[in-house]
Amino acid sequence: MTAMSDTATTEPAGSEPEVVVHADGLSKTFYDAGRGAVEAVRDVSFRAHRGEVFGLLGANGAGKTTTMRMLSTVLTPSAGDARVAGVSVREDARAVRRSLGFFSASTALYPRLTARETLELFARINGFPSERVAARVDALIERFEIGPFAKARIETLSSGMKQRVSIARTLAHDPPVLIFDEPTVGLDVLSALALQDVVRELRAAGKTILFSTHILSEAEKLCDRIAIIHAGEVLVDDTLDGLRARTGAHYLEDIFVHYVRDADEGARRALEERTARELAALEG
Amino acid sequence: MKSRRISWPEIGLLYRSEVRAALRERGIVVQSLLVPLALYPVILWLLFTAMTFVRGQQDAAPSRLVLDGLPAAQAELRTRLADDERFELVEIGEVQSGAVDGVREGAVDLVVHLRAAAASTFIADNFVADLTYDAARERSATARQRFEAELETYRSERLEAAGLQRGVGADTWRQVRIERESTASDVEMGAYVLGLIVPMLMVLMIAMGCVMPAIDTTAGERERSTWETLLTMGVARTSIVAAKYLYVATFGTLAGLLNLVALSLSLGALLSALGGGDALEVRLPLAALPLIALGSVLLALFIAAGMMLLAAFARSFKEAQSMTGPFLLLVMLPVFLTMAPDLHLDARWALVPIANVVLLFRDAIGGVYHPGLIALVLGAQALAAALVVQLARWVFGFEDVFTGSYAGSLFRLLKQRLRARPRIGSTP
Repeated sequence: MTAMSDTATTEPAGSEPEVVVHADGLSKTFYDAGRGAVEAVRDVSFRAHRGEVFGLLGANGAGKTTTMRMLSTVLTPSAGDARVAGVSVREDARAVRRSLGFFSASTALYPRLTARETLELFARINGFPSERVAARVDALIERFEIGPFAKARIETLSSGMKQRVSIARTLAHDPPVLIFDEPTVGLDVLSALALQDVVRELRAAGKTILFSTHILSEAEKLCDRIAIIHAGEVLVDDTLDGLRARTGAHYLEDIFVHYVRDADEGARRALEERTARELAALEG
Repeated sequence: MKSRRISWPEIGLLYRSEVRAALRERGIVVQSLLVPLALYPVILWLLFTAMTFVRGQQDAAPSRLVLDGLPAAQAELRTRLADDERFELVEIGEVQSGAVDGVREGAVDLVVHLRAAAASTFIADNFVADLTYDAARERSATARQRFEAELETYRSERLEAAGLQRGVGADTWRQVRIERESTASDVEMGAYVLGLIVPMLMVLMIAMGCVMPAIDTTAGERERSTWETLLTMGVARTSIVAAKYLYVATFGTLAGLLNLVALSLSLGALLSALGGGDALEVRLPLAALPLIALGSVLLALFIAAGMMLLAAFARSFKEAQSMTGPFLLLVMLPVFLTMAPDLHLDARWALVPIANVVLLFRDAIGGVYHPGLIALVLGAQALAAALVVQLARWVFGFEDVFTGSYAGSLFRLLKQRLRARPRIGSTP
């Protein structure tokens, strides 16, 4: 047992890795007073396995955060479903939330609670057994070197300290699935590297990690599988080697550009064809 | 969909966390706890002390008076005024700009021009007094009041003397005399004054006690980016809303009850300091306290739901303050309605939220208890609170409102709902 995992997670030798997150045709449509219906995510499907870092790579506005929010049940899918640790996000959102830890730039900490109170609250509220909460919190405090400021209020901490508490908060209830949504946005280089180390440790502990980013080098270094998402759609989903084999390109940057340009070109052609058909219909 | 159910352990955890955080927020502690308990009696005391000081200053300042055209027969009036330290007689010649302009400019407070009146068979040397003063200036208005009172005394004494010379007693020439007697005891008068003051302050303090927590727990969370953190917690959303609502209502109730304690301890002393305590016996009857406490809880439940309903649409603290401001005024409106003369708690008023509780408080302070009306008031107020809670639940059921991405107001949402806009994503 470690701070990264309170439970043993071993896969039988030679068996197929267990699918822990299964997104199946996820779509999300928002209604905007000015723009009407906006399709932010369309028919997104993928599978993430135990002990795997699954990367969702896309430009800003590609639909990464909306997808992550649907998986974490912050948003309800307009269509499709996803199962997280065997539970449908549509059928039992609460159970899904208890089986995952969500970390993003927009999930801040409660400024008036202390670091220890924060970890205790998140462990308890997410259903971690009461009798083990204190030991779990101690382990996290030790792993993330929170001890010297464990009794200080969050509002008094530096941003580096807050980041450590925030990661510990995400792991407080020892969830099997972790979602990191653009976790290194706004972090300095050393903090970003420290976070990457945490992700590797979690993978080694058998956690399933969904990692969304627009930083190609980060995805290249961390992710076992990468899905490239563009304009709300997943264009491809494979290992880095698989993506190289498909495109003949070595660098992820070239692979990314290959797929995104293809998609944009396809979209442009489809638009031209549709316009031509409509014009023809009008003239006819 | 399993997670719409209420879980009391979850609510308890969230509630305790909210309260703990709130007790560490200076703004909430000051506005919801310290102001009703301590600051507010102190502020009232300071206010009353300042008023007393100002009144004392006004009383101490002599009224500068120009007495013009005094008939020789009334020389005694001049002597009386000259001997009275409340007056300072000023000669016309001393006022360079002239007597009337002197009043306008504040050099003198009152110009009295005396002229002969029509001859009377009863009294000789009758006169008319024309007073020139500045009603917009406190010292000038006071000078007029003082002079009129003095002149009335002088007039009565002259009439009495003239009557005695003719063998007519004062009772005969006065003909009509007023004798006053109030049936209200000192205790009843105290209850009357308390009945006017206490309910108004209670509603105000409960509303003030709800404002900061309601804003802090909705718009404040969005502003601090903790709202999304909350949404990823493994709890039902109904539990989140319920915990927040109970937290806001708790602080509203606390503000009301602390205010009640402060009023019980300080109001008598404050009114006595003002001079009102001489004629009144100001004390809150113990028997009324449980009913007032229960009414305060119901008021807090109603106001908390309304505040949260409005604050839910705000994305920043300032926006929420603007949205809840009009609600504060709206809450006070029924209180002012109850100040209409001859208005008493009856079956009709028992159904009007807030006004019913205010009238119930007033009756309880006056020692009037009608079990039927009490039950009706409490039931009606509880129903009103339940309706607002239901409306809040309905509004929070909209995913875009709950997640904070909805850009409109409550009224816009209601309008859209009437147009059957799709209810997008009722996330559990």
